[in-house]
Amino acid sequence: MYNYARMKFYCDTERCIECFGCVIACDEAHELPLGIARRKVVTLNDGIEGKEFSVSVACMHCTDAPCEQVCPVDCFYIREDGIVLHDKDKCIGCGYCLYACPFGAPQFPKDGAFGIRGVMDKCTMCAGGPEPTFSIEEREKYGQNRIAEGKVPMCAATCSTNALLVGDAESVSKIYRERVAARGKGVQTPYGWKEAY
Amino acid sequence: MKKIYFLLFSSLTIFAGEVPLASPNLAPTHPGSQLYKEEMIEAIPFWNKFGELFVYVQTHYTKPLFLAILIGVPLAFAFHYFVWGPKKFSHKGRKFLIFPKWQRIVHWIAALGFIFLVPTGFLIIYAKYFGGGEPIRFARTIHDIGAILFAIAFIPMMLMWFKDMLPKSWDLKWLGMLGGYLSKEKKEIPAHKFNAGQKMWYWTIFFGGALMLLTGFLLYIQTFDKSLLNVKIFQIDILRIAILTHLALALIIVALFFTHLYMSLFAIKGAVDSMISGCKSEDELKHLHSIFYKDIINKKIDKKLEEGCK
Ligand code: SF4
Ligand code: SF4
Repeated sequence: MYNYARMKFYCDTERCIECFGCVIACDEAHELPLGIARRKVVTLNDGIEGKEFSVSVACMHCTDAPCEQVCPVDCFYIREDGIVLHDKDKCIGCGYCLYACPFGAPQFPKDGAFGIRGVMDKCTMCAGGPEPTFSIEEREKYGQNRIAEGKVPMCAATCSTNALLVGDAESVSKIYRERVAARGKGVQTPYGWKEAY
Repeated sequence: MKKIYFLLFSSLTIFAGEVPLASPNLAPTHPGSQLYKEEMIEAIPFWNKFGELFVYVQTHYTKPLFLAILIGVPLAFAFHYFVWGPKKFSHKGRKFLIFPKWQRIVHWIAALGFIFLVPTGFLIIYAKYFGGGEPIRFARTIHDIGAILFAIAFIPMMLMWFKDMLPKSWDLKWLGMLGGYLSKEKKEIPAHKFNAGQKMWYWTIFFGGALMLLTGFLLYIQTFDKSLLNVKIFQIDILRIAILTHLALALIIVALFFTHLYMSLFAIKGAVDSMISGCKSEDELKHLHSIFYKDIINKKIDKKLEEGCK
């Protein structure tokens, strides 16, 4: 077992109201190009009463991350706190990480004329990348490094209903368990929990 | 010529992407694509079907298997060359036109495609040892260009040799004696215009090449609109099946490609000339394509074929 905390996201589908706040906050915080959305809000069973729910997904920073296992250039690295990051200078844009990822997190900008894929882009949990912390290169390639500033990732900080939680896995699951107990509906397995933890 | 331009142009338009306007929360570059939409979420619980399979194959098999082909096949042929040596045939005497000029052109377009495709494919698989980054991204572009060249030659090449490649009873005999390559003796080998080995190569390309083009194309666009397909399968799973198929077929095709190179360049001295000048010598035909040789003599078309080489 790990003797340090692993950082995790969790989206409480009972609370998410599909406001897209996290998506816009992420796009703006990292000044993402058109066509790239590191975080997405998806509604399932739209209009079916009792079954409809929305969930906000991005990279789940998996334990034993499959993306890291398949990458032909080994450009991923997993921080001690479990945040999964990658090196855009090494990435060859092959797409293998997307095929391996359970959550569809890796995305690829495409050039206009021939649709040639560029290097992979995904959620960094606002922890930047391999470039020196707070450098211009880090900002341009990977976005803000809010973790180094001691701040909560932008998406979770914005979430108006506190549906989107982020933190070490134990605290996140403690909050979740308390919420479930308060609702009195019995234990449900949260969406995507099995794959990411 | 017009046709070639048309093919070139149409293949370019197929490959041209479109710049999407970003919708606020979704990232697909293809408006009809389900890749990053609802389906992506629905597919999460089913990751352990093809997703896990791909991770397993990629972490356990891809690199060692391609390395085995890259080293094993040439080693086996080096051994063959050393023990049995090349077959030599007299290139004096009569020569017959086997491949007319247009067939040679089609063949070399496909060959050029392969020369682009195979090394860059290896570069992608072993990208780590070449540092990755910009140079390998460029190799990926070359890989795509090779695919376009191969695609242009694919249909004409398959059509022009289709009839001659249909299996015949004597092919079994050829296979039984492995084409006579495991003996130094010079004797008559049963084969018509193409021997059973060449036929295996042809049919591998016929089915494998088509699948390689298809899977490669899907992997290239990724965010295609699959609604036309009308099958119940997650878009991400299509991509996973595509990459697995692409890798598995590549293994077979590369192994046979090396064989093809060895046969034409080393095993039969001067065999490659027949794809350059289009002509084969009487001595070579008589031995390696004995049935074809008897056929042209009986049908009395040998004079005509000889004309083509003068
Ligand atoms: S969610 Fe996908 S990209 Fe993120 S760590 Fe897991 S496999 Fe990798
Ligand atoms: S796209 Fe980049 S990060 Fe993803 S597997 Fe390929 S090289 Fe690695």
